[in-house]
Amino acid sequence: MRAEDLEEKFPIVPIDSDAVDAARMIAEHSLPGLLVTDTAGQPYAILPAFAMLRFILPRYVQDDLTLAGVVGEPTRGQATKNLAGKTVGDLLPDYLGDIPSVDARAIITRVAAEMAQLRSSLIAVTKDGKLHGVITASHLLAAALKS
Amino acid sequence: MNINTFHAIYASTVFVIAYALITTERFNKTLVALAGAVAVFFLPVINSNEVFYSRDTGIDWDVIFLLLGMMIIVSVVRQTGVFEYIAIWSAKKAEGSPLRIMIMLVVVTTVGSAFLDNVTTVLLIAPVTVLVADRLAISPAPFLIAESFASDIGGAATLVGDPTSIIIGTGANLSFISFLANMGPAVLLVLVALIAMLPPLFPGFFTVDPDRVADVMSLDEREAIRNRKLLIQCGIVLLAVFIGFVLHHVIHMEPSLVAMAGAGILIVVSGLDRDFYLSSVEWETLLFFAGLFVMVGALVRTGVINNLAHAASHATGHNLWLTTVLILGVSFLFSGFVNNVPYAATMTPIVAEFVSSLHGPANHDVLWWALLLGTILGGNLTPIGSSANIVIVGLAERAGAHVSFWDFTKRGAVVVAVSFAISLGYLWVRYFAFA
Repeated sequence: MRAEDLEEKFPIVPIDSDAVDAARMIAEHSLPGLLVTDTAGQPYAILPAFAMLRFILPRYVQDDLTLAGVVGEPTRGQATKNLAGKTVGDLLPDYLGDIPSVDARAIITRVAAEMAQLRSSLIAVTKDGKLHGVITASHLLAAALKS
Repeated sequence: MNINTFHAIYASTVFVIAYALITTERFNKTLVALAGAVAVFFLPVINSNEVFYSRDTGIDWDVIFLLLGMMIIVSVVRQTGVFEYIAIWSAKKAEGSPLRIMIMLVVVTTVGSAFLDNVTTVLLIAPVTVLVADRLAISPAPFLIAESFASDIGGAATLVGDPTSIIIGTGANLSFISFLANMGPAVLLVLVALIAMLPPLFPGFFTVDPDRVADVMSLDEREAIRNRKLLIQCGIVLLAVFIGFVLHHVIHMEPSLVAMAGAGILIVVSGLDRDFYLSSVEWETLLFFAGLFVMVGALVRTGVINNLAHAASHATGHNLWLTTVLILGVSFLFSGFVNNVPYAATMTPIVAEFVSSLHGPANHDVLWWALLLGTILGGNLTPIGSSANIVIVGLAERAGAHVSFWDFTKRGAVVVAVSFAISLGYLWVRYFAFA
């Protein structure tokens, strides 16, 4: 089994897309994250869902997580307010690290090893240097358990 | 030109270029300092003995390890949430009055800065401040500016309050008690003056909708404490460290060793992950200091410092009072615009020369107090005058409250002018009037 056999339909967003729309996409489809492409359509980064959780918090709680217990429940619309006007690029962590990607012809073991080493729940599949698709960790695990 | 003169010019050129590059803030200051250190390695008078083992011309390991120990201690204490507890409790004690809240937070910041690094203190106080301002529906900017002033003031109170205090205090071999006894009263006077100045510094700011007060009073500071067991452990170790600092001359244990011992004990009792406490140490800052010490050491070794000190004391007629005023004034002026750490590192050996060569009835340690007061309090002049100021302006921006250079400086100028007057008066009354 090769990486191109495991690809699944997965939302891919450009780096300059709206942050609120991206957050809604993750929430509505229960996604582990999003694959972010640069303006040329090439894989740029993985935006994990947990990275967006900070944005349901007021700024001062993001700066000092100790205050999370002090402020109580988040106010209505806090998440939308914090994300308004931002792009997906604004949500990416400062240090991106290596973008998890494999060639479409890579075997399943290689795909699993890359995802485990980079601790990523998503991996981009490329063919001839272009983005071909996405594999999620859960899909890979399902395939591994079947085989 | 003889070879010694060439060495002196070379060391001076390296230092001036490095200092200028650091001041522009456009280059990584650690890389600049290390590059400068490597450049002076080429001097034949600098060898590994000079760099690693000489107290006068090499890396001051007491400073490095005192900073390292305090960084680890602070990183563990931060986990308890005690600082946030104190800040919220103080704000609630003010019962929603913006002026009283500002005074309480200024006092908390000053006391915190006396024992923690200034930047750490403002990083801890700023989020709480923004929270309180948010609840009161007022701008956090005036609070943050006042806290910036307070953090610099507090850092001058103790030997461990500020990296500048550590550099000068360690270089001058000042004890913790002596430092506190001589700097504490001056800091207290400046703090009282700052508090008195708050209404005119921020006119029209201190009115708030009474309905908002309940939002502040509803904050539960007890929720800020994340780990009670760790809090108790930290409290015991901090008390022991403080006692160690106070008695370090008696127990023959330098503050650096006290800090490292405290850090080691906290690491063991807290059980915190090694990756955590190692990642909380600012290794770049420690390397920056090391590079700086090597460059300044080269200035000492090549005689530049000695010549500067002689020229300056000649200019003041070897008069202790005039030299005190010169050091105080120049330090206030410089540190408002340039990074005060390299300034302090350079001035320390110069002032050491003065201390050993000047005449006057007063205790020559007055020169150290003048250097400390000028270098640390002068940093309040501009938003770039100290690291804490730079951080506060950045945090205000993140909170949506833009603080312009002029907003800060027009208030900083008043605070610095008053601080200078108080410092001058204090030094005269305490060390010269009755000498």
